[in-house]
Amino acid sequence: LSPSSYGRTARAALMRHIYLDTAPILWWFTALCALLTLVITRIVVVTALSYGLSQYALEMVIRVLVLELIPLTAALFVALRCTIPNGAALAEMRRNGEFDAQSRRGLDPVATLVLPRALAGLYATITLAALSCVVALALAYLAVYGWTAAGIAAYTHVFGHVFNPSVSLIFVLKTMFFALAVSVIPMASGLYDVEGDGSRESAALQGLVRMFAVLLLLEAASLAGNYY
Amino acid sequence: MATPPPDTPVLNSEPAAGRPVRNLEFKATLLLIFTALLVAGSVFYLLHARGVFQPTQSLVLLADDAEGVVVGMDMTFSGFPIGRVRRVELAPTGAVRILIDVPQQDAHWLRSSSVFTLVRGLVGGTAIRAFSGMLTDPPLPDGAERPVLRGDATAELPRVLATAREVLENLNAMTGQDAALRGSLANLQEVTEKLKGPQGAMGVLFGNEADAKKLVAALDRTNALLTRIDGLAAKADTQVFGPDGVMKETRATVTELNRLLAEARTSLSKVDAVLVEAQGIGANVRGATVDLGALRADVDANLRKVEGMINELNRKWPFARETEVKLP
Repeated sequence: LSPSSYGRTARAALMRHIYLDTAPILWWFTALCALLTLVITRIVVVTALSYGLSQYALEMVIRVLVLELIPLTAALFVALRCTIPNGAALAEMRRNGEFDAQSRRGLDPVATLVLPRALAGLYATITLAALSCVVALALAYLAVYGWTAAGIAAYTHVFGHVFNPSVSLIFVLKTMFFALAVSVIPMASGLYDVEGDGSRESAALQGLVRMFAVLLLLEAASLAGNYY
Repeated sequence: MATPPPDTPVLNSEPAAGRPVRNLEFKATLLLIFTALLVAGSVFYLLHARGVFQPTQSLVLLADDAEGVVVGMDMTFSGFPIGRVRRVELAPTGAVRILIDVPQQDAHWLRSSSVFTLVRGLVGGTAIRAFSGMLTDPPLPDGAERPVLRGDATAELPRVLATAREVLENLNAMTGQDAALRGSLANLQEVTEKLKGPQGAMGVLFGNEADAKKLVAALDRTNALLTRIDGLAAKADTQVFGPDGVMKETRATVTELNRLLAEARTSLSKVDAVLVEAQGIGANVRGATVDLGALRADVDANLRKVEGMINELNRKWPFARETEVKLP
C-alpha cells in the first residue's frame, strides 16, 4: 500500500463520516433550535415588557440562547446522535479484531477508523452550533422587530455590545472545547477502556458520563469567564 | 478498504453505517464550504457589529468617580448609541479619564458646546449621555477632553429618606393623643352634632338658645315691618302715580315751566338787543371823552396865556402895589 492510497482511504472515510454524521441531523437540529428560540424569545420579551425592561430583552435573548444554550445543546445532540454510537462501534470493532486486521494490512487503525470519526464529530458540533446560532439570531430579530429592516442597525449594535472581544473569545473557545470533548472522549472510551464486558452500553455509558463531566466543567469555566 | 467489518447491531448504530450515498465526496465538500461560509459570515458580521470597519474618533470624558462605568458601555445622544467606552483610566491628577470611541458618521452630533452627563439610575446600569444644544457650533475635534456632569439617583436616597422620616414624624405629631388636629376634629364633631340638633346652624353660630330665639324674633319683626313697608309703598304708588296723583300735576307744572322759559328766552333776546345799543352809546361817549381831552388842553393853554398876560400887565402897571417890605 502506497502513502497515496493510504491517504485516499483515510480521506474517503473522513468525507463519509463528515457527511453522514452532520447532514442528516443538521436540518432537524436547526428546526428544533428555531422552535426553542421562538419560545424563549417570546417568553423573555413578554416578561421584560411587563416589567418595563424591554431594552434589556434582546440582549438577554442573545446571551441566553446564542452564548449559552445553543453550543451546549449542539454538543449534546452530536454526542447522543453521532459520537457516542461511533465510540461504541469502535469498541466493538476493537473487540472483533478489526483493528488488528487493519494493522495487518498496513493501515493505521487510528488514522482510518478513529480519526475520521473524531473529526466528523468535531465538524458536526461546529456546524450545528454555527447554523443554529445564525438561525436563532435571525429568529430573535424577527420575533422582536417583525418583518422590517428598520431594526437591523439597533440589533447589530446590541449584538456588538454583547459580543465584546473577551466574550467572543470565550464563545469560540467554549464551542471548540465542547466539540473536542464530545468527539474525543467517546472515541477514547471506545479505544482504551478494556475493563467490563466491552459491550455497547458499557462503552456508551462510560463515554457519556465522562463527556458530561467535561461539558459541565467547560460550561462552568465559560460562565466564570463571562460573568466574573 | 479490504474486508468489510462484521455487521453487528452496535456497528449499525453509528450514522455512517447506512447505505452508500451517491456523490458523497461532492456533497461532503459542499457541506464543508457551507460551514466555512457560515463561520466566515458570522465573523464578518461580528467585526461589523464591533465597528471594526468604521473609522472612529476619540473623546475623553473627565469624571471624578468611575463607579458604574464599564468598558463597552454606550454613550447615547437622544437615546441613540453614538459611542462606546474603550477604556477607563486614572489621570495623574486623580481624575477619571473615560476614553470613548465615536464613529465618524455619528460624530457630527457632538459639537464644541455639547454637554456630557453620567447618570446612574435606580434600575439598570450607568448611562453616559451627550446633549448638543447648538448644532450649528463647530464640531468636536478628535481627542477632545470634556468634563462630565454626574447625576446619581441613589445619592438622593438618604435625603429623601430623611425628609420622609421628618414628614412621618410631623404626621405623628399631628395625629397624637393631645395634638391640635385631634382637638380640632373633636370640636368639629361637636359642631356637627349641634348642627344635627333642633337649633341647627343657629345654635352653632350663637352658642346659646336665647340668642338664637332673639334672632328668630328679630326676623319675625323684620318680616312684619316689610309687610307694612309693602303697604306703604302701595299707598305711595297710588298717591304719586294714581289718576289724581302728584305725577300728573307735576307734568302740567313742567309744561307751564317750559312755556315760561320760552318767554324768558324772548325777553333775554330783547335785553341782548338793548345791550348792543348801549354798547354803541358807550363807544360814542368814549369818542366824546377823547375830544374833551383835546378841548381841555386848549383851555389850559389859553388860561396859561391869560395868566402870563395878567402877570405881564401887573409888572408893567404903574400903580403896581409894592409888596416888598424894606427893612430899615
